[in-house]
Amino acid sequence: MKGARNSKYIKAIQSKKGWGIENLPFPKGLALVEARWDLCIGCGFCEMACSMYHYGVINRELSRIRVYRYLLPAPKSVQNICCQCSEQERECQKACPLDPPVIHYDDAKFHMVVDEERCLGAKCGKCLKACPAKVPRFYPPDHNVAMVCDLCEKDGVRRPQCVEICPAFALEYMEPQFPQHMQRIHPDEKADVMAERLQPLPRNKAQITPEELFGGKK
Amino acid sequence: MRETKFNLLEIDLSTGEKKTVDMTKEVKKYIGGRGLGAKLLWDRVPEGTDPLSPENILWFGVGPITGFMGSVTNVSALSPLTLLRGQSNMNGLFGVELVYAGYNAGVLLKGKAKQPVYIYIKNDDVEIRDASHLWGRFNPDGQETLRKDLKKDLDDQNFKIASIGPAGEHLVRNASIDHDFYHHAARLGMGTVMGSKNVKAIAVRGTKAPPYPKPALLYHVLLKWLKEDWEEKVGRRRWGHSVSMPERYYKTTEGIKNKQLGWDPICDLSNPLKLEQGAKLWGNACNLCHVGCKTPYLRRNSPLAPTIGELRHDNGGGWNANVMIPGYDVQCYLSTYVDTLGLDSEDVSGVVAWMLECYDRGLVTKEDLGGIELTWGNLEAICQLLKKIAFREGIGDKLAEGLKFAPDLIKGVERKYAMTNKGVAITSYEPRGSMADAIGLVLNPVGELHGGRGHPERITFDSLTTCSFLRRDIPIVFGSLSNWAIPMLEGAAGWKLSEEDWKNLILRASIMERCVSIREGYVPSRDDVLPDRFFSETIFNKYGEPKILNRDKFFEMRKKAYLSFGLNEEGVPSKKTLESLGMEFVIPPLEKKLGAWE
Repeated sequence: MKGARNSKYIKAIQSKKGWGIENLPFPKGLALVEARWDLCIGCGFCEMACSMYHYGVINRELSRIRVYRYLLPAPKSVQNICCQCSEQERECQKACPLDPPVIHYDDAKFHMVVDEERCLGAKCGKCLKACPAKVPRFYPPDHNVAMVCDLCEKDGVRRPQCVEICPAFALEYMEPQFPQHMQRIHPDEKADVMAERLQPLPRNKAQITPEELFGGKK
Repeated sequence: MRETKFNLLEIDLSTGEKKTVDMTKEVKKYIGGRGLGAKLLWDRVPEGTDPLSPENILWFGVGPITGFMGSVTNVSALSPLTLLRGQSNMNGLFGVELVYAGYNAGVLLKGKAKQPVYIYIKNDDVEIRDASHLWGRFNPDGQETLRKDLKKDLDDQNFKIASIGPAGEHLVRNASIDHDFYHHAARLGMGTVMGSKNVKAIAVRGTKAPPYPKPALLYHVLLKWLKEDWEEKVGRRRWGHSVSMPERYYKTTEGIKNKQLGWDPICDLSNPLKLEQGAKLWGNACNLCHVGCKTPYLRRNSPLAPTIGELRHDNGGGWNANVMIPGYDVQCYLSTYVDTLGLDSEDVSGVVAWMLECYDRGLVTKEDLGGIELTWGNLEAICQLLKKIAFREGIGDKLAEGLKFAPDLIKGVERKYAMTNKGVAITSYEPRGSMADAIGLVLNPVGELHGGRGHPERITFDSLTTCSFLRRDIPIVFGSLSNWAIPMLEGAAGWKLSEEDWKNLILRASIMERCVSIREGYVPSRDDVLPDRFFSETIFNKYGEPKILNRDKFFEMRKKAYLSFGLNEEGVPSKKTLESLGMEFVIPPLEKKLGAWE
């Protein structure tokens, strides 16, 4: 799977121009992919682009960005992606049982990396448990090492494919505008936040029933 | 080149037996979705089977490109509403999960469970589980309860659930299957068949990648589509499909007052702009679609609030001016109510419109209806009637039989006021506005299913399980349908198809369905007709222009359409066509029905 990154397919994809968003100036230093849940339409293009870029396959389970779909009861999807936390907040790095940590921040490349040879896999899973947003993913048995967003960095060039492909402009690639870890929110909590827009309806009810509406008159 | 293997999960509910069957040969001939569903019905359901008996099958079908540019799940069974071949499509991610679970030829249910069950599928782990705690629950509630049960960790959030509501449990003949509350396999009583098998819900989650032989080719096709189609869908992205109703009112192609009028001032109350600006929440898309045409809205302050809903021509058309309901606000309330009950919005609105007219003409009385004062546009009365239908109470028990049977069961009513084709209600369409619509409504071997669904091109889209809203865009982006479909099937299934193969594939998938219906008693020249009203009553549009269908022209156009579909003038595939497609096996049973034909 590792060789796929240099395959001719990936080169062909990279040489393809995006559809406008690539013309925006990309950040030079510290940067992350910001997810806008309100704009996410849950199409899954980002997951496909991610797995295609990293592994040359179409498999959303091998994606480092994940879309979780809720019914509130209006359908709402929210994305979940690593936000490249600042040093003191890197729970995954702190939790890794190995020394030096397998999952760590690369200060030169400005993104998280995983030393795939040393990773203990899903059985260990300490990074996943430690991350409040449950971002690191494993895909046993095919790819049993932690997967986190590397901003699609190759030879020092970062070009997040999910941001380029998102048709709803729900992903933005930018410098952190506030402490990054503040957007490290568990998807369930994101759904709760979105559900506030549906007040006063609970999740299992779509409307005031006719009985409640006309009950008095009967 | 490696060719994809297609697996069908077969579950016998009576014995609890589960097995995986290799369907590669069949898929290569009938693609998947609607085409393959017809073949399965032909093979596995004996002629003349009662649709509600355990011998009927219920197939949740996918195809080679489901999970990629296909997001449709086709549900196939013999229809309890028409007694012909039944099928209904739902979008969403249900089919995608099936493919990721490894069942890229779908799931087939047969037999009947002893008590209410739900089916749990996670990759190879298939279980039939007790659903007594879900039975009787209304729609979003049932799915929410089941999701809570299933959710052990975060990943389980992406379980996809298809379920029936109270209407399906009570075997109302036009009950729907609901997925994520906004996708419905509603038409032709697929929910009724599910209810007759005592299956309340199916929950699927898959984590295995579909084994595409050429992912890079697929990816390039998709990127081209994404980049070049994005601008084509600006309107749909913003307003969803609520725009199509006003458009149709002004073309006189949307029914009003059970097709008695061509225009009414309440049509102007359906304003998509007001709905969007006042109540739209966000867009929601199916798998790998950049549009997101599901645009749920929430009403907080109208007299009917709180109401959440989603509007499109299909679920809302019948609840608009056809029953004289004024505007989107009230219509949204009704269509959401129908969804919670688990009824087919489109079909049951035709039943209600028919009852409204009968009441208006004094053919049924308040006493017949159990004290309901069923006047045009009376929301409370319509809600009461809907509940009676869903729970089969009083007159609802008879109305639940659908427009094929109900007119004979109720004393005093007249069949001529029932706007129906093959027993399926015509609600969201007004054929007098457009001859193409009129032909589209009748030329469907399964009954009226959103106008035009009988066209081979539409059947192809349904067989590929691609959303049929792409059918106008794909020729724009790729030049022709085959330019897109052939590389798609090569990338996803590993088939090398020529243009000729592709044409045969289309024809075979569309003719198979017709053969199943003919075997079950469908006679195209007899059944492909519209109610008399459309030929005898003139209606006037907003500007006073008269609209009526010319009977001779209608039949002439129908004949032309038959020929263009590769059929003979009687609407039957000729023996020569059948032989050239390798479908000789259908000739003897058809001969029994049709006598000798060429």
